[in-house]
Amino acid sequence: MKDKIILPDDVLIDVRNVSMRFNLPAEKIDSLKEYFVKLLKGKLKYKDFWALNDVSFQVKRGESLALIGRNGAGKSTLLKLISGIFEPTKGQIVTRGTIAPLLKLGAGFDYNATGKENVFLNGAILGFSRKEMERKYDSIVEFSELKDFMNVPLKNYSSGMLTRLGFSIAVDVHPDILLIDEILAVGDIMFQKKCAAKIAELQKSGTTFILVTHSINKAKELCSKGVYLKKGTVAFQGDINEVTKAYLSDCNNQ
Amino acid sequence: MKLTSNAGAVEFRKSLNVLGSIVKRNVKNQYRNSFLGVVWTVLNPLLNMIVMALVFSNLFGRSLQGADYPVYLLSGNTVFNLMRMATTNALPCIVNNSDLLTKTRIRQYVFPMSNVFGATVNFFFSLVALILVMLIRIPNGVTFHWTMFMTVFPFLPALMLFSGGISLLLCIMYVYFRDIKHIYTVVLTLWMYATPLFYSLEALHLSETMMTIMQINPMYHFVTYFRDITIYGTVPSFASHAIIYGWGIGFFLIGGLIFHFGKNKMMIRL
Repeated sequence: MKDKIILPDDVLIDVRNVSMRFNLPAEKIDSLKEYFVKLLKGKLKYKDFWALNDVSFQVKRGESLALIGRNGAGKSTLLKLISGIFEPTKGQIVTRGTIAPLLKLGAGFDYNATGKENVFLNGAILGFSRKEMERKYDSIVEFSELKDFMNVPLKNYSSGMLTRLGFSIAVDVHPDILLIDEILAVGDIMFQKKCAAKIAELQKSGTTFILVTHSINKAKELCSKGVYLKKGTVAFQGDINEVTKAYLSDCNNQ
Repeated sequence: MKLTSNAGAVEFRKSLNVLGSIVKRNVKNQYRNSFLGVVWTVLNPLLNMIVMALVFSNLFGRSLQGADYPVYLLSGNTVFNLMRMATTNALPCIVNNSDLLTKTRIRQYVFPMSNVFGATVNFFFSLVALILVMLIRIPNGVTFHWTMFMTVFPFLPALMLFSGGISLLLCIMYVYFRDIKHIYTVVLTLWMYATPLFYSLEALHLSETMMTIMQINPMYHFVTYFRDITIYGTVPSFASHAIIYGWGIGFFLIGGLIFHFGKNKMMIRL
């Protein structure tokens, strides 16, 4: 057992020397037959892939952090580790307060069920009780602008309507930490404005954001600090302006 | 810190909440597009039983220690179907819900368990069918016994633990080996014929060794226990309780431990 780390009062997330290894078969084996054939021939090979290597940073209360970096740099893996979806291979992540991971809108939507049924199902998946959802229901419907469609099965929704519904359920949370994976560009311009206002409101009420994004503007706008990940290691961290500068100059030099 | 000491309990309560929502969704979906709706759940085992009774009653109907053949048949099927439905639905559940598992903080065990509870809901519908048949067969000598209430406890928890253990094992294996699905279908068919559902072991006049082998089958004990309390109205012995709970708790522990220690490794394969 690892020692329990007690966080100082102002630190919400402490990521300490975290590494994540994906230990996958070199060739795809997905049947027992193949497995035993390969095993007998001695051809069972595994390939180690370190998605993250010795990553450390802290996020203090009221701060917001942007994770930037190229595709495959380990940003999403890091978010999943902080959410508790994956366990780190090495190192430790300590968090304080409630965490709401918004990695995908409408994960677990049931397309045969109606909008209303899905609001409650999705709410349960995000960790809310039926009572809490009943209280939130009206404001969710109003925010999504889908009042007339709540008794229609989801399979008849347009993709824009789906993301709107997903976003409306997801933002009606008041967690201490909100983890967001590139889901902010949702819906038409009017709806995007509403989303931006909602995010600003959450930020004002003291929610800490960790944001994965490819939009430099959005990162600067929403976050005060940044971590630039490069092939699973921290290439640069600190003030958001310096981090984005480092990232951009890196990109331009390649 | 108050926050961390309660975190486990809060987590568990949330998982139960998701579990409830998913079971409800699944039961609803099962009959969403059919005209007769829930009536099918009662009708299905009934029709099945009628077909089987027509085919087998002359063959196996004589040596049942006075039990009525349709009731004997239906009671066995009801028990076996809970296990079959829970495990076959649970088998692909981790793979089918990989999106949810890698994008939200839902606990992994929620999915296999939701199938066990779903099958249990179905079991109660089948129980209605069984009671209906028993009512119809009263002129043929069928009687009701108070022991039937022992279905809810102690019988059901043992069967649910047993089905849950197998479900946990199967769904994690399926992440690695997709041919488990085909293998398990064959295993289930064999298992069904090896369990005295439409025949009785006594009627087969087996040798002593064969009899012992047939009685290793855990489903034999679950089916026999259920018939004792519904058809024959006897309170099963202490040994019968020990056997069904032994199988139930044993399998649940094995499945649970493998699932617990394998789940993090499993996640990166999704």
